[in-house]
Amino acid sequence: MKKIEAIIKPFKLDEVKQALTEIGVEGMTVTEVKGFGRQKGHTETFRGSEYAVDFIPKIQLGVVVADDLYDSVLETIIKTARTGKIGDGKIFVTELKDVIRIRTGETGVKAL
Amino acid sequence: MKKFTLANFVQKMRDPKQRKFFFAIFGGKMIGLGMCFLIMFAFSLYLASPAKSHAQTTNTTDTSTNAAGAITNATTAITNAVAAATGTNAAPAAPAPPPDPPYVSPINTMWVLVTAFLVFFMQAGFMFLEAGFARERETINVLLEGIVDTCLCGVLFYCWGFAWMFGHGNGWIGWGDGNGHSWYFLQNLPDTYEATGVATLAIFLFQFAFADTCSTITSGAMLGRTGFWGDLWYSIGVSGFLYPIFGHWAWGPDGWLNGLKPAAFHDFAGSTVVHTIGGMIALAGAIVLGPRLGRKFKRDGGGPMPYHNMTVASVGAIILWFGWYGFNPGSTLSAMDIQGIARVAVNTTLAACTGGLGALLFVYPRSKKWDCGATVNGLLAGLVAITCPCYWVSPFGAMMLGFVAGVVVILATDLLEYLRIDDPCGAWPVHGACGVWGTWSLGLFATGQFGASTTTGADNSAGAVVKGLFYGGGFDQFKAQVIGNASIGIGVFIAAMILMYAVKATGTLRISKEGEEEGLDLHEHGGVAYPDTKL
Repeated sequence: MKKIEAIIKPFKLDEVKQALTEIGVEGMTVTEVKGFGRQKGHTETFRGSEYAVDFIPKIQLGVVVADDLYDSVLETIIKTARTGKIGDGKIFVTELKDVIRIRTGETGVKAL
Repeated sequence: MKKFTLANFVQKMRDPKQRKFFFAIFGGKMIGLGMCFLIMFAFSLYLASPAKSHAQTTNTTDTSTNAAGAITNATTAITNAVAAATGTNAAPAAPAPPPDPPYVSPINTMWVLVTAFLVFFMQAGFMFLEAGFARERETINVLLEGIVDTCLCGVLFYCWGFAWMFGHGNGWIGWGDGNGHSWYFLQNLPDTYEATGVATLAIFLFQFAFADTCSTITSGAMLGRTGFWGDLWYSIGVSGFLYPIFGHWAWGPDGWLNGLKPAAFHDFAGSTVVHTIGGMIALAGAIVLGPRLGRKFKRDGGGPMPYHNMTVASVGAIILWFGWYGFNPGSTLSAMDIQGIARVAVNTTLAACTGGLGALLFVYPRSKKWDCGATVNGLLAGLVAITCPCYWVSPFGAMMLGFVAGVVVILATDLLEYLRIDDPCGAWPVHGACGVWGTWSLGLFATGQFGASTTTGADNSAGAVVKGLFYGGGFDQFKAQVIGNASIGIGVFIAAMILMYAVKATGTLRISKEGEEEGLDLHEHGGVAYPDTKL
């Protein structure tokens, strides 16, 4: 099982969520985060002066998948979240030791 | 680049080429400044010119020069100051002769002024309501649009809006006192407006607040995807042209709807003039703009886009209700018609009450939830509907027509959703649809007991009273209401479609796709509504 954390542009969330549910993903977690990569920040104006804001709002989408769904999930996220412009985001993949469903106590792939 | 210090500057000036360049730029700036002063000076001369500040005769509608005299003195002072600054000397305008004493009622004037302040406060209500119903990413845009359209409206109404709407002229547009003196830039104003006994400038302020309300309504349907330049252009179109011209038909002293027979068209505080006009322009804007990106409609499996702050939206609605206590009662223009004022205030209140309850109860069965947004629109619908008939209906009638408005607004919202028109605040359902219903309802619910406000009290004589269908008045008043509302409503909708398409042709109406995805606040205003100060 793999844990996929994708940091994407906020307005892409609905599209990515829709596409993932269509290919069979049944759950995900979403966090609002701020960050920067090579996009750096942007400048904002207030009362005639500019000031730099380094951290840009992003959405962190977390989804845990069994190995058979892994490739299609990655492909889907990349395809729907991409705009081609700087700031599209990154995906981090970690190998997961175990998953447990609290209500029933099931473990492993059955708990996904 | 080297730092700008005196030493560096002097050194630079030793070079002849740099010297020439400096004097060219400096000379150009001085010429520019001089031209600015010249324009100000010339304009002040126009404002103070003797031909415009003397009335030839006094007559029954009182074209005395008292107000013009005061304006003349003020502009003379400016003229002399500018003359001194520019080194020339213009002869001051001759002082105006003392006028015949006109009837100026202090208490009526105070009443109109205080209610004007209340109506103006509705701008805060609108800003809250629209910002609350918008998404966070366009909040600053909504707020600034509200402020700027207020500022534009004041200037435009001063320049020609008031003259067009409330001046004498013909049945379609006005321009002055009917005796050759125009009221543009508030020139040649009589001491009091018509037979009201109220200082004309107080009437101007009161009507500016109304015009401001109308122009704010349109932004409610167009928020989230309108470029700010587009906002400016259509605001100028609405406040400067659509509202004063179409409003003159009903509220101008010689507006053609006043002459309808056998019953004249009546609109006490503006269900047609303010709300139907505003709502129809809003609808035209929403249609020409198209929906916000990502908006899916109910019939396609989607629904309205979520609001971002229900607290602010609900409080905004209550602020609007409070401001309505100036909007409707103030339209008596007379503090002496005490029964009328009290009746109007009570009718206003009861229509809002039943409007809110009507919407709340009508929507409940759909999802078994008590819908705050629907209730907010319901109370506003009741207020809009009562705005036309408030003087002439009984409290019971007010409650009935308010309740119907609460239902109408929900149905109108459903209709827009079905037609795939994205109206984020429900501007057309609240102001357009219920403005129409409120105007028609006068023809049904007018009791036949009440006539008109005058400067000394109420005129409830047989010739002045308004009677509707349910009280034995027949269809005459109802027909007049439908004719008046339809002519203004349909006319302004067509004109607004033309206006919106014209603005669209300039390319400024809708912002770019990237701008809309980034969010209007960042794209147009360089900021976010709720900055995170911790990071």
